[in-house]
Amino acid sequence: MQKAFGKKSIIFLFIFPAFLIYTLFVVVSIIWAGYYSFFDWSGVGSKAFIGLQNYVELIANDKVFKSTVWHTLIYTVINVLIQVFGGLLFAILLSRVKKGRTALQTLYYVPVVISSVAICQIFLKLLSVTPTGVVNQLLSMFNPALKVMEWTSNPNISLYVTAFVEGYKYLGLYMVIFYAALIGVPDELSEAARIDGANHIKEYWYVKVPYIKPVIIANCILVLNGSLRSFEFSYLLTRGGPGNASELMTTYMYKQAFASMKYGYGSSVAIMIVIICLVIGLMFRKITGEGKEE
Amino acid sequence: MKKKLIAMFLATVVTASSVLTGCGQQTESKTATQQDASEGTTKTTSSTASTGERTKITALLKGTESTEQYQVFNYLLSNYCEENGLEYEIELVNDMQDYFTKLQMYINSNTLPDIYGCPNGTLSKACKDIDALVDVGAELKRNGYYDKMNGAIVDFLTDADDGNIYLFPQGLYCEYFMYRTDIFEEAGITEAPATWGEFEAACQKIADIGEIPLVVGGSDAWQLMRYLSFSPWRITGPDFITNYQAGSDKFSSNDSAKYAVNLLHDLGTKGYFEPGFASVDYTSACNLFFGGTGAIFYSGSGQIGLANEMYKEGKLGFFPVPDTEGMENMPTNVPIHAGFAEAFNKATYDDTMQNFFDYMCENFSDACYTQAQIFSPFNEDLPEGLSQLYYDTQPMFSAAETAWTSWDDKLDSEVLTKIVDEQQKLAQGIITPDEFISNCDTFVTK
Repeated sequence: MQKAFGKKSIIFLFIFPAFLIYTLFVVVSIIWAGYYSFFDWSGVGSKAFIGLQNYVELIANDKVFKSTVWHTLIYTVINVLIQVFGGLLFAILLSRVKKGRTALQTLYYVPVVISSVAICQIFLKLLSVTPTGVVNQLLSMFNPALKVMEWTSNPNISLYVTAFVEGYKYLGLYMVIFYAALIGVPDELSEAARIDGANHIKEYWYVKVPYIKPVIIANCILVLNGSLRSFEFSYLLTRGGPGNASELMTTYMYKQAFASMKYGYGSSVAIMIVIICLVIGLMFRKITGEGKEE
Repeated sequence: MKKKLIAMFLATVVTASSVLTGCGQQTESKTATQQDASEGTTKTTSSTASTGERTKITALLKGTESTEQYQVFNYLLSNYCEENGLEYEIELVNDMQDYFTKLQMYINSNTLPDIYGCPNGTLSKACKDIDALVDVGAELKRNGYYDKMNGAIVDFLTDADDGNIYLFPQGLYCEYFMYRTDIFEEAGITEAPATWGEFEAACQKIADIGEIPLVVGGSDAWQLMRYLSFSPWRITGPDFITNYQAGSDKFSSNDSAKYAVNLLHDLGTKGYFEPGFASVDYTSACNLFFGGTGAIFYSGSGQIGLANEMYKEGKLGFFPVPDTEGMENMPTNVPIHAGFAEAFNKATYDDTMQNFFDYMCENFSDACYTQAQIFSPFNEDLPEGLSQLYYDTQPMFSAAETAWTSWDDKLDSEVLTKIVDEQQKLAQGIITPDEFISNCDTFVTK
């Protein structure tokens, strides 16, 4: 039996259903979006073939799209910092805690299982200006002017607030993954480091963290993927606003395709998202050397 | 060898079952579509019995079980279907954007239900293009209800292309400003503002006593857009926005439009709106105002249920849209519209549906007043026992013949989306009125 599963033809047969479903729902969708992107179409009624005009418009004239690319990159960097490095920090702290570790772990993990809509609603209430939410109420104890501090409706910070909320939601997930990786580091390595005179910081810096480097890279890829195509937090918290201040590529695509009823143009934005995600993903793999045979 | 065979067999079963399941589903749905296409009807499989007689009425409505459209139609359909031994099914989609997406799907697949909420604009045109709209005006003339309908509502729903009426009003909505009498008194405002100059002066007086002058749901497109459209509407009726969309008028060349741009910028940047207004939606704004925050709120007959208690206690007053100084304003100063209107699917409009249409017209006013607490679009005497606000506000609009011009209906979706983004920046002071005007003038080219 074991031998049979080692054969490529058998492996292929097992992979085939997943491959088929993936092809139908992902590859075919991308191809259809690519097809629609060559049309001037509102989503209803007749389509007019316009060739590459949507792409020309998007790349040459659409300033808002350019800003959404930039916003998405900032959003991704913030999320990598919060989710990967924040998650790693919390995992390290968790691994040092002797009592109540399970309770803490559960507490940090709770946002992961709560739906994004609920998380956004909670933050909208917490950060509300009128009526004053808990955050502004607390801040006003230190400075009364902060009672009317705008979080989601301030164009200068709304993007960061949105990124923070997504980071907060998923931090617990990466914390758990890192924690599992950290406790898997062989004790002999730590002992050897301590014998060589390393303190706790050095022990983590030179031994444990380098040991779990593949996990860090894998998590970075996961967060990168998630953030580049993130939609719901920006849409639910700020609707991409005020103006286009927290607009991401995905919310822009949605607005173009459905709110503006420019389905063809929205499809061209979708294809650009696919291309940008592929380029950034490949660049990241190149930089980190991921995928190379050791 | 035996193990190899077992493994191969297992893999084949898994693959085949997945593929066959997919194929089976595909075949079923294809058959249904073919049936629909061949019969030239929609939803026939679910709405008719094997004898060909209708067994069910289907409806797609925007909102939840607490929204007016549902309350009215649920009441009418449940009563009608009970009397006639039919079933009915109402599909509700709450979010506006999701609703549009769903409606688009139904239009593209030509599977629209018997009754569906339909915005007057691109989507109603798409429905007309596939011949899925019953001529409601002709039906109203047939059953004698056309002349009973409020003139402004008829004006609001008249199709710009052919002058017919394809949509049935959700109700009669009139909009006006509500204000807190106690705050006005405290601020020394003795009379409700009649011009925008007086309106701004009143806001300043209210701000001076430390109260929030205006409550607005700034995250909902239409709320800020009202302030942008009041002045052009009072001066030009539908002309400015229609001409702007056609590319023959501009914000920069229309004084009433420029006035409105400056007004919205003033109200936002002088701090008259509540702090954080850009992230407050209309429902939250209602909760704020009727919960005791703010002095003035632009709302109307749709909120009579919420306003009633405060009005009864003498805490609430109302006033119509102020005049624009130095320009000639039209006499109608209360925006009247039909809400989110409903369409009847021409492909499924059989005798039963026509019978329901007549039943609906006969009982619509009753449903409006007893179920949804909104004004009926038909000019009938108000029934007794309603809250005082109904009787006191009705004279404002009973003789109105000019409808409100909803910019969100007249503008095409693309221009609307862009203006919504710009108006929020304008109200927050991120861009100046001049920048707003020059940006908006580029959205439409002749």
